[in-house]
Amino acid sequence: MLEKMKELICNYVDVDPETITDDSRFIEDLGFNSFDFMSLLGELENELGITVDEQEVVNIHTVGEAVKYIESRKA
Amino acid sequence: MDKNNIKTLADLVRLAAEEYGEKAYIKEKADNGIAETSFNKFYENAMKVNAFIKDVSKGNKVHAAVIGPTSAAYLECYFGTVLDGNVIVPLDAQLACPDICELINRSDSEIFFYDSRYTPMIELIKKSCPAVHTYVSLQACEGADNVLPDILDKYQPTEGKDAVPDALASIVYTSGTTGKPKGVMLTHGNFVDNTTCQDNESSPEDELLTVLPVHHVYCFTCDILLSLRYGATVCVNDSLLRIAANLKLFRPTLMLLVPMIAETIYKQIMAASKAKPDVPPAMIAQAVFGGRLKGIYSGGAYLSPELIKGYNALGLPIAQGYGMTECSPRISTATLQDEYSEAVGTIVNRCEVRIVDGEITAKSPSVMKGYYKDEAATAEALDSEGWLHTGDLGYVDEKNRIFITGRKKNLIILSNGENVSPEELENKFAMVDKVKEVLVYAEDGVITAEIFPNLDIYGEADDKTIGADLNQLIMEINKTLTSSKTIRRIRLRRVEFDKTTSKKIRRNQTVQGEIV
Repeated sequence: MLEKMKELICNYVDVDPETITDDSRFIEDLGFNSFDFMSLLGELENELGITVDEQEVVNIHTVGEAVKYIESRKA
Repeated sequence: MDKNNIKTLADLVRLAAEEYGEKAYIKEKADNGIAETSFNKFYENAMKVNAFIKDVSKGNKVHAAVIGPTSAAYLECYFGTVLDGNVIVPLDAQLACPDICELINRSDSEIFFYDSRYTPMIELIKKSCPAVHTYVSLQACEGADNVLPDILDKYQPTEGKDAVPDALASIVYTSGTTGKPKGVMLTHGNFVDNTTCQDNESSPEDELLTVLPVHHVYCFTCDILLSLRYGATVCVNDSLLRIAANLKLFRPTLMLLVPMIAETIYKQIMAASKAKPDVPPAMIAQAVFGGRLKGIYSGGAYLSPELIKGYNALGLPIAQGYGMTECSPRISTATLQDEYSEAVGTIVNRCEVRIVDGEITAKSPSVMKGYYKDEAATAEALDSEGWLHTGDLGYVDEKNRIFITGRKKNLIILSNGENVSPEELENKFAMVDKVKEVLVYAEDGVITAEIFPNLDIYGEADDKTIGADLNQLIMEINKTLTSSKTIRRIRLRRVEFDKTTSKKIRRNQTVQGEIV
């Protein structure tokens, strides 16, 4: 999932995927805007056939937290 | 629709029903596909809500607050309120419960319409808002005092008679420079003027995908009201997560965006182009937008020239406008046919613009009555001759186009169109011993707090230690803020801020300190 996340992240910002870690923060470290983040989760929702709750994702800040959240929705 | 016949919002919704009848006004996702509400049905339901309000308020005129994402139900309650001279108070759907209560009380609201997702808050709101006598869930909901579907079953449509052009229609809360949101009072005449100040903007053939928060006047006037005037269909985007999917589902012909969303969609188009180098980018862009898009209107914040040029290169015209809630909101707008320019559009009809000491001031029938119960703030924004002081610096060229050069007031305007008062955020540090001085500003579009820590407490601690502690502190402060206002960057400085003679921190000083 982390690799998929990295691939999608690179569609939004110009970063070296090797530098993205679980602790990378979307806005502060990767340079996302808040809508990039929503959009990325929307892509994952579409691709993985899961349902993401808009209210639940506002507190996600890091890549690791996002991966964990997506995994929990798949379960 | 003959725009000369529109004097109030009640006229607008009635004339739209008469002229566009059974055509779909609103399309939204439902359990079994797409639900459509015709112009006729929409007006009928609004009149039923009006009958309900008459009943519960015993004929008295009332203020009613409404909260929730865009939906036919939300808008039926909105129009049901205003079409007989009652006042609607649309609240930001992102607000936390204490802020919702505060604005309900400050706006003197007696009725509260809410999307059922707010049900868990209702008990607390009831305790905190004693003036509210009627609660209505917009959807069927167990345990609710009233639910809209029952109201629509029970009441007969009642036409409104008491909406007049000069009557207050809405109180819209907007970020003030002093921290507390200010209630912008907009009349029926204000909304109608802004809805009719331009012509030929859309047609009954058009379908719009509405993605912006409906409590914003920009969205309300340009998506909701203009579609009533022109007979266009409003398709509801059910979540910011799903814009890409909804573009494919509804295939809009026009869209109203803020720069942040325009930028993200542009990035997606570019990423898709990179993955498919053999397909022309313009074709990919059309596919992303659903295949029928004629152009994009952008407002709420400044759109970068690079983005305008980027969209134009994809064959998608993007027209930038400028305005503010206090002007319902449009002061200037471009058309999709305009040539590229760094201007924020041409001044709209009936609006006069004068530059005073570099500041853009505007006067038009769209300008608000004032701020609700805030005479001091009103006097600051509106001078004795009725000129609205925008706080923006700029100039007007010989073609009547406005160019923005900066801001006079300390208001952060984010690229999603949200306005954030730095003072409101700085005030959150007032009781924090660990922070001696703080300045909040936007840096690269990110809300940043530049902090001079209290070294009496931190002593000889290094930047890393102080930074970790301040990040914890900011996390706690962010919990009290709506997500769009959260502080996302901290700069730690080791010297005090430069100050004015009255010991106030000077704004616009050079950024200092490392990001921690």
